[in-house]
Amino acid sequence: MDIFVQILLNSLETGGIYALAALGIILIFRTSVTTNFAQGSISMFSAFLATIVLIRTGISPILAALVGMVFALVLGVLVDFFVISRAQKVNPVSKQIITLGLIMIFLGLAPMLFGTDPLQFPRFVYGSYSFFGATISYNAIFNIVVGLVLMGILFFALQKTKWGLSVRATASNDIVARMMGIPTASVTRASWAIAAALGTLSALMLAPTNSVNLSMMDTVQVTALLACILGGFTSFYGAVIAAYLIGFASNLISFYVSSIWSDSILYLLILITILFKPTGLFGKKVIKKV
Amino acid sequence: MDNMTNKLLKVENLSIAFGGLKAVDNLSFDINDGEIFGLIGPNGAGKTTVFNCITQFYKPDEGNIFFKTNTGEVENLVGKKTHELIGKGLVRTFQNIELIRELTVVENVMVGAHIEFKASLFNQFFRLKKTREEENRIRKRAEEILDHFGLSSIKDMLVAGQPYGVLKKIELARALMLDPKLIILDEPAAGLNDSETMSLVNIIKEIKNERNCSILLIEHDMKFVNGLCDRICAINFGKLLAIGTPKEIQENEQVQIAYLGKEDD
Amino acid sequence: MNNKLTDLYKTHKPYSQYALFGIILSLLPLLVSLGLVKYSLLTTVASILIYSIVALGLNLLLGYSGLISLGTAGFMGMGTYLTAFITADLGLPFELALIISVAVPMLIGVLTGLVSLRIEGYYLAIATLAISEILRKVFVEFDFVTNGFSGKQAQYPKLLGFLQLDRNGTYILIVFFLVLVMVMMHNLVNSHTGRALSTMRGSEAAASAMGINIYRHRLLSFAIAVAFSALGGVLYMHFVKYTYPNAWILMLSLNILAVIVIGGVRSISGTILGAFIVFGVPDLILKRLPIIGSIDGAAYIFNGLLIILVILFYPNGLINMRYDIQRNFNKQFKRGENING
Repeated sequence: MDIFVQILLNSLETGGIYALAALGIILIFRTSVTTNFAQGSISMFSAFLATIVLIRTGISPILAALVGMVFALVLGVLVDFFVISRAQKVNPVSKQIITLGLIMIFLGLAPMLFGTDPLQFPRFVYGSYSFFGATISYNAIFNIVVGLVLMGILFFALQKTKWGLSVRATASNDIVARMMGIPTASVTRASWAIAAALGTLSALMLAPTNSVNLSMMDTVQVTALLACILGGFTSFYGAVIAAYLIGFASNLISFYVSSIWSDSILYLLILITILFKPTGLFGKKVIKKV
Repeated sequence: MDNMTNKLLKVENLSIAFGGLKAVDNLSFDINDGEIFGLIGPNGAGKTTVFNCITQFYKPDEGNIFFKTNTGEVENLVGKKTHELIGKGLVRTFQNIELIRELTVVENVMVGAHIEFKASLFNQFFRLKKTREEENRIRKRAEEILDHFGLSSIKDMLVAGQPYGVLKKIELARALMLDPKLIILDEPAAGLNDSETMSLVNIIKEIKNERNCSILLIEHDMKFVNGLCDRICAINFGKLLAIGTPKEIQENEQVQIAYLGKEDD
Repeated sequence: MNNKLTDLYKTHKPYSQYALFGIILSLLPLLVSLGLVKYSLLTTVASILIYSIVALGLNLLLGYSGLISLGTAGFMGMGTYLTAFITADLGLPFELALIISVAVPMLIGVLTGLVSLRIEGYYLAIATLAISEILRKVFVEFDFVTNGFSGKQAQYPKLLGFLQLDRNGTYILIVFFLVLVMVMMHNLVNSHTGRALSTMRGSEAAASAMGINIYRHRLLSFAIAVAFSALGGVLYMHFVKYTYPNAWILMLSLNILAVIVIGGVRSISGTILGAFIVFGVPDLILKRLPIIGSIDGAAYIFNGLLIILVILFYPNGLINMRYDIQRNFNKQFKRGENING
């Protein structure tokens, strides 16, 4: 029982990290029709910046995270302004390759600007709390709550605000949306900015346990993409629920089977799942027009 | 399954809905051997949807599509894979010409005989005897068809940049490569001028007579259909209005209403 | 001539050009032994040629099926470990190792493809990304075969059981395989499978109406891409004689994609040009420049920027420059003629 509670608590934290990253990928997929492979690299890059700022100025980790997220917002806007917005007529495959090119640029720039050594980013809050024989750090609680609140705000915004309506309209048909007077270009730009900020937050939540390094987001990136597949690229909620499910499964496998192979086993399980459920757990089948 | 002597295709109670909207509603008709059959209806009547159901691009919700295949057996096409149909003797063309720009004219036509190629991957990698023999045989057949259409002078040119009327002919040539029993033409006259349309009518008649096959075509140009088809099926809102000879259809009141609207409106 | 004829579609057979290319490349060891070029250049060129082989396979996948694989490095790495294990640990012949080391990755590739190719094209990229992460884990953790992070060694190949190659001999073997792969790709693209792939790319609707099984052809092109990746891995292992897990990271897969995009999608000579740019320029030029040369990551930035610039402004790849230059030259020439006349 106590072990199970512990696993559940851990899963809420890891699931939240995956969910933030996955949400960013879906947001971009729905507005730019591309799977953004560079989500993790942009997040890693911004996390490095936040850490450098923290080290140089000695501000609190929370403030540093905010600086990192604001930087990520700007970075997202720049990426869209200089690259993505100019690639509207490019076919979807080449667009994917563009995001792969972005990985190369950020992975090349990072060691140039921030050095090659891994950096330490502290926890947001210290201390821990025990109940039912399980222990949870205040930092984990902070991460879980911040993650949930942010996602709650985002879902509320998607459903209830004019911006959300514009995103959903752009997602369902950008040409019609443009004809209806929706500024699809700025909707897309905002999506890139928000996605980058969400990813950066997930990177900084991960940082205390993994250190800030060039490959820190590799696993998160793969897992978030798989969460999108598992949840179905057609649904915002699907990816988030899938991310939490994956977080849970990952902790279960690490504890009961093997911690070394947990990611590999998980990836295989997800691939096998889509063999039987090709549109994902929550995806809808789309009929293509001939 | 009922009697299919003299019949090539039998569409039975076909229905398909997209999100609650019935695009085709309980439609039945059949096509005889060696017949040119027209499917007409105003825009949005569901003609192309019927085509896509027959060719299994869409999976119908209800109904059967019986087809007498190359081997003379009658099969229900519903549930078959799209790419299996050409081997049974059913081939189609497209409303917005679907040719490959980067391939030459003759290569595009050769694609029509794709399923006849049997050379293995290894054989193709090293261009061994079987590959060369197949390539030559099928290229020759493609050239003959192109010659028949008066296109031999452009056979080695790329498809990109050819005029529209020529593209229509190339697509038709591609459809003929395997001697199909049924050719389905999706708006063959769309975008053609009068003289091109006339030449197309002749070609279609010639194909039917020389190749002993049936032709199913969609069109909303009534003049074109009347001059060409043996029988016509008129539909509107996915439902059958009437089946009959061109004359019968022209005189049918419901068809007139669907096309022209009610007079007392 | 408005039609851009990529060189895969030339009606005449370019075998003699390929052979000539091979012969010129084979002269390099001679130049090295004459002291005309540096010893290290042979290594650089050999690796460029190996990556060309890998990229040619991937070009079929990307160019004709419109699919991206991010598992290239993983499958290449698998080829290196398998051949090292079979020749060095088991002491079996090079030829057998070559066959097994290509077949096993291909099988894994086909399984990956079976799962991911049924739905949307972009699923393959994600699935192969996951598979390559798993493979890297295997390279590290199966240390009883792979030696973990310390890496694994193998020797120059011994052909037919008695012909022991040296460094130059192995280089010639690589050239031979490259020319062979170029010929094979040219033949395939100009046979019915190639036309089927082109048709699929141009119009999936037309392809299925003409009896082309899209799923099977996607799988086929992916299997070929994986096989050539593994072949590249085998050749790499027996030339470099050393493999370790961090050689087979995502960055290499991205570089191979860069080769195709920068050089020219669906072009054999474009792929070779791309390989020289992506793997040659950083090694031969960037590293020698003052300041930039000493910076880590300059090559990544160079290739990443080039990918984006080419896609945005020169989507047919740099190989098409020769047509554009030719056209401009002709224009200039004709204008000159007119003035004179």
